[in-house]
Amino acid sequence: MNLWCASTDQPWTWQWIAYPGVWLTVLIPVVAYLRAVARSQEPTDRRTRLAFLAGMAVFWIASDWPVGTLGAGYLAWVHMSQYVLYVLVAAPLLLRGIPDWMAARILDRLRLRGVARKLGHNLLISGLVFNLVLVVTHAPFTVDALRSTQLGSFAMDMTWLISGLVLWLPIVGPLLEHRSRSVPARMVYLFAAAGVVAILPASFLTFAKFPLYSTYELAPRIGAITAIEDQQLAGVMMKLGMVPVVWGTLAVMFFRWMGSERAGVS
Amino acid sequence: MPRIGFLVAIAVIAAACASPPAGTAAAPFQGMVVDPPQPKPDFVLTDTTGRRFDFRADTDGRLTLLYFGYTYCPDICPVQLAQIAAVLDQLPDVRRNTTVVFVTVDPERDTPEVIRSFLDKFDTDFIGLTGTASQIAAAQQAAGLPVATKIGDGPDYTMGHSGQVLAYTPGGLMYTEYPFGTRQTQWASDLPKLLER
Repeated sequence: MNLWCASTDQPWTWQWIAYPGVWLTVLIPVVAYLRAVARSQEPTDRRTRLAFLAGMAVFWIASDWPVGTLGAGYLAWVHMSQYVLYVLVAAPLLLRGIPDWMAARILDRLRLRGVARKLGHNLLISGLVFNLVLVVTHAPFTVDALRSTQLGSFAMDMTWLISGLVLWLPIVGPLLEHRSRSVPARMVYLFAAAGVVAILPASFLTFAKFPLYSTYELAPRIGAITAIEDQQLAGVMMKLGMVPVVWGTLAVMFFRWMGSERAGVS
Repeated sequence: MPRIGFLVAIAVIAAACASPPAGTAAAPFQGMVVDPPQPKPDFVLTDTTGRRFDFRADTDGRLTLLYFGYTYCPDICPVQLAQIAAVLDQLPDVRRNTTVVFVTVDPERDTPEVIRSFLDKFDTDFIGLTGTASQIAAAQQAAGLPVATKIGDGPDYTMGHSGQVLAYTPGGLMYTEYPFGTRQTQWASDLPKLLER
């Protein structure tokens, strides 16, 4: 039974494959969220709810057929697109979509409030954790070992999502106590953590003479793209995929900060 | 005492990590070593232009990669040929002295035109051969491979065939063969060495 997308030696077809594990991983949090929002006496505005649902939708698209299937076993550039979707789109939307009362309740229940506070305030640790996950989960050995089983592939996807939550916690964390107070510090952090270190593994992918991942090198080919072209595209995706989100966020942060500074002065 | 045990354990692990697995340190090749080396098989088939192709004579003095497959193969054949084409692209000196020969095991569907069009997706210099079923069976046997068999009925049948590429050095001997799963880095490591044999 296919619960989660993993690599396979079967040739690629556009025939739909069901992944009930993916559906459950999406449905359970969505139902729990909507129930909690409906039952709570605390207000949750429409934008917050939409942000959460959009985050879960992106997570679903990145995990299910066809993106999940292609990324797990056929094309390195799709695998990299999944990473970008989890880390840079789903994770900040989810954080933005969790109301503060719900975040407090979840973190208290999981006894993670202290950890979250430390990660939110200590930007160096958050950046290190995020980039450690980035480097380790893109190492050829890790990718080839984890993508070959459903459980491993699930672990990799979840690790990516969690590392994305860690990355964005100091910036859009639901609890103010988690966010770093200094806007310039947050901007430098985001630029360094999400924009600088990724260039290193991305360069390895782009400039390697031979394919690094056996999963994608030996996968049944799709169309005319060769294994090395696929890998180069993955490198480009890693480098440039982050640009719109990171630079867009930096721009928004900068202009909001400038606005608040001006308002403060006047 | 526990500290000594810990240090001994570390030393054992370090030694195990430092020494390569048995059989790999001395092996000059990353492909599967054939011991003793096998001579180049002698068979004659027809190439995609309709000319007679004497495998032994027409590849004499060249590094020759021989592969038995079929163009409708859904998985192994396209990957093996793509791997070889990709590596030869990176090694122009090797490429100049290498001949890649693809022999169909499915002459029923693989007409010369179909073979040519299939091989051109990988490399226009790859040579495609066909013949009668008995000629192709004899060629496989001459190369020391089991004869491919038809699996299933109807137009979408598949062929059960050996998936390895046989590598013959310019000296006419096969020292190594390359099963499905051989990485491009392994090919790139072996081909220049084979060329010198």
